[in-house]
Amino acid sequence: MKASHTMKNRASPFASLLPALLVIGVLVLVPALGPSNRTLSLAISAGINIVALYGLAVLFGQTGILSMGHAALVGVGAYVAAILARDAGIGFWVALPLGSLLAAVAAAIVGVPSLRVSGHHFVIMTFAFGQLLAIVLTNGGDFTGAATGLDLQLPVTWFGRDAGELVPYYFIVVAFVAISAIASWAIINSSYGRTLRAIRENEKLAASLGINVGRHKIGAFVVSGLFAGVSGVLLAYFFRHISPNQFSSFPSIYLALMVMIGGARLLLGPIAGGILVSFLPEMLNLDPVESRILYGVCLIAVILLLPNGLIAGLLQGLQAIVKAAFGSRAETPAAGANNASGARR
Amino acid sequence: MRSLLLRGASLALCLAASAYQAAAQDADTIKIGVVAAESGAFVSAGHTLPAGVGLAVKEINDAGGVKVGDKTYKIELLKRDDRTDISTAIAATQELVRDDKVAAIFGSESHDFTLAMAKITQPAKVIHFAGNSTLAKVLNPQSVAPGGEDHYLFQSEPQEFQRSGSTARGVLSLLTPLVGHPLKKSVVIVGNDATGQFLTSYYVKALKAEGQEVPEVISYPPDTTDFSPFLTRAKSLNPDVVHFWYNGDSTLTALPQALELGVAPSYFLFGVDPGIWKERGLTADVPVAMSCVPICWGESSNANAKAYFTNYFAAGAPKGVTSSVSLLYYDYVHFLAEAWEKAGSLDPDATVAALETLHHKGVVSDDLSFNSSHQVTHATEVCAAAPGGAITCAMQQPPADAPN
Repeated sequence: MKASHTMKNRASPFASLLPALLVIGVLVLVPALGPSNRTLSLAISAGINIVALYGLAVLFGQTGILSMGHAALVGVGAYVAAILARDAGIGFWVALPLGSLLAAVAAAIVGVPSLRVSGHHFVIMTFAFGQLLAIVLTNGGDFTGAATGLDLQLPVTWFGRDAGELVPYYFIVVAFVAISAIASWAIINSSYGRTLRAIRENEKLAASLGINVGRHKIGAFVVSGLFAGVSGVLLAYFFRHISPNQFSSFPSIYLALMVMIGGARLLLGPIAGGILVSFLPEMLNLDPVESRILYGVCLIAVILLLPNGLIAGLLQGLQAIVKAAFGSRAETPAAGANNASGARR
Repeated sequence: MRSLLLRGASLALCLAASAYQAAAQDADTIKIGVVAAESGAFVSAGHTLPAGVGLAVKEINDAGGVKVGDKTYKIELLKRDDRTDISTAIAATQELVRDDKVAAIFGSESHDFTLAMAKITQPAKVIHFAGNSTLAKVLNPQSVAPGGEDHYLFQSEPQEFQRSGSTARGVLSLLTPLVGHPLKKSVVIVGNDATGQFLTSYYVKALKAEGQEVPEVISYPPDTTDFSPFLTRAKSLNPDVVHFWYNGDSTLTALPQALELGVAPSYFLFGVDPGIWKERGLTADVPVAMSCVPICWGESSNANAKAYFTNYFAAGAPKGVTSSVSLLYYDYVHFLAEAWEKAGSLDPDATVAALETLHHKGVVSDDLSFNSSHQVTHATEVCAAAPGGAITCAMQQPPADAPN
């Protein structure tokens, strides 16, 4: 902790945001490279996941709480969007804050009883919440469309122009990835972020310093719900048809997997995890069984070798290489990478 | 600078030449796509789609192709595995519709994937066939009318009240003589998922329309392996028939447990082919009815089906619980080819108009046609295994109207 603070004091907080913004800048250029529509479609799906992952990263990376029911919060956002569109004719842009808000409310409702327990018990509670939501949606009759789900007919428009096509929608999703990254960065670098990290490092010590641990843990869960809700609205307007299966426990496990592989403490982690898990089966032509084996192996490798995720591991590796190549003079660039890492802790 | 310009011009020429070549190839072929789970949880039903569509494409191409106006086209089939993942299914559909410019798409086996795919195929005017009876939720005369949101979408499986009606009638008529007394009380045990919920609501009505008392529908969570709590509950209701509805793989797990517990004097297994019954050497000391979607491959009363399945398996398709699902797609490739020939054009609107008026002679029926909601009607085959092992099958025509 002390070393981390020392490093942080030496670097501007913006330095930690810059790599994520640079990567997002590159993602903005992707349509100009003429990708296939398949790639673009998968990229949109990955981007939607990344928005949810930023919320999960606040929860897991900053507060140390792992949720295995996060897809259910995404589902709340998606169903809010579909129901508002069907029953009130409320479109995409209004559904975004409302979906986000109601997902946060759902997170608070789940969080209050769940966060009375911690560790593995909380994981089980969130897992049960995911299953429960799927059951409620499946048995919700016409209101939730039951097991068949709901269609979403309203178009996505941007200043009166149709933005529902793949390329404009891709830009919208990338914009929300950028907003999510900036929001995460702002949380991480705020006094609230420091409070969450204090809770993550030592709950009892944090409580002894007068921090209301339970309230802040619920708060972190609510914040992660805001991100999940936005992700859900984006997903509903992309798929145009949603059903309970999309938000059950298995997608939640995938989200947790993505954030753990990419790394929850660095701003690049959710981007790396989302892209990797979405595109790896595509690039290596893996079937679902092979993919799951690979993810399992990756997860074990990350937990054992790169506990802070792939990106943190890569930065550390880079630092070691530069140090070996240039000796002590290389302290500066490598420290920059480390600073970035430290600032996000 | 000059060298750079020359290189650029050469590259442009090469690209133009290859584009011309591709266009020339495209001029003689019609591309169609199939999106199905060739891996993942739905692979059992999913792999039958490309197999059935592929067989039909081969037959059409071997016979010379499709004559549209003055020109004869070969059909090129593009298969895409959705990996039982909705994001992949959508990406595959985007690829087929926008990059490959297919004229038609077949699939998927999962109804919610199909509904999401239709949001891409319909605005792009791509003819879309799907064997999901749940499509009845979106298909109606208004939605499929010209300009309607599902004008190019066709349901290649009968409406659920028809299939449930055929099945219920067939099951009861085959089991009654084998049990030896009138069957009055039925209990339905069903997987509690999208398809299970949707199908059960119709099947229970169909059973009641056949005079059955249905005291309870018992739902089990998908992927259940220990059915004893559900079977014990069913036994307490003293049924004449227990209907395992609808997942063939789960059904085959549940039946031995039911026989062990002696739950009922007869059973019905939805979606289990007599071929699987025989291949696995299954036996029961009570009569067991089975139904296929739509015609059985292991034992059939339909002569067309025997020839079809001989070719289907000879083409390398594996024998599975749901091999017959391929018939919800195979016939419609031929049907579509006939529509193109009749329309004399590949124009989607002309093709839809032809599909709406044609009567096609297929394997599942000698008279396949679409109603005003783009849905087909045909019989369903039901078989029953007697305690001695003899299997009898019969095609059951659907009821004319939905029960109240």
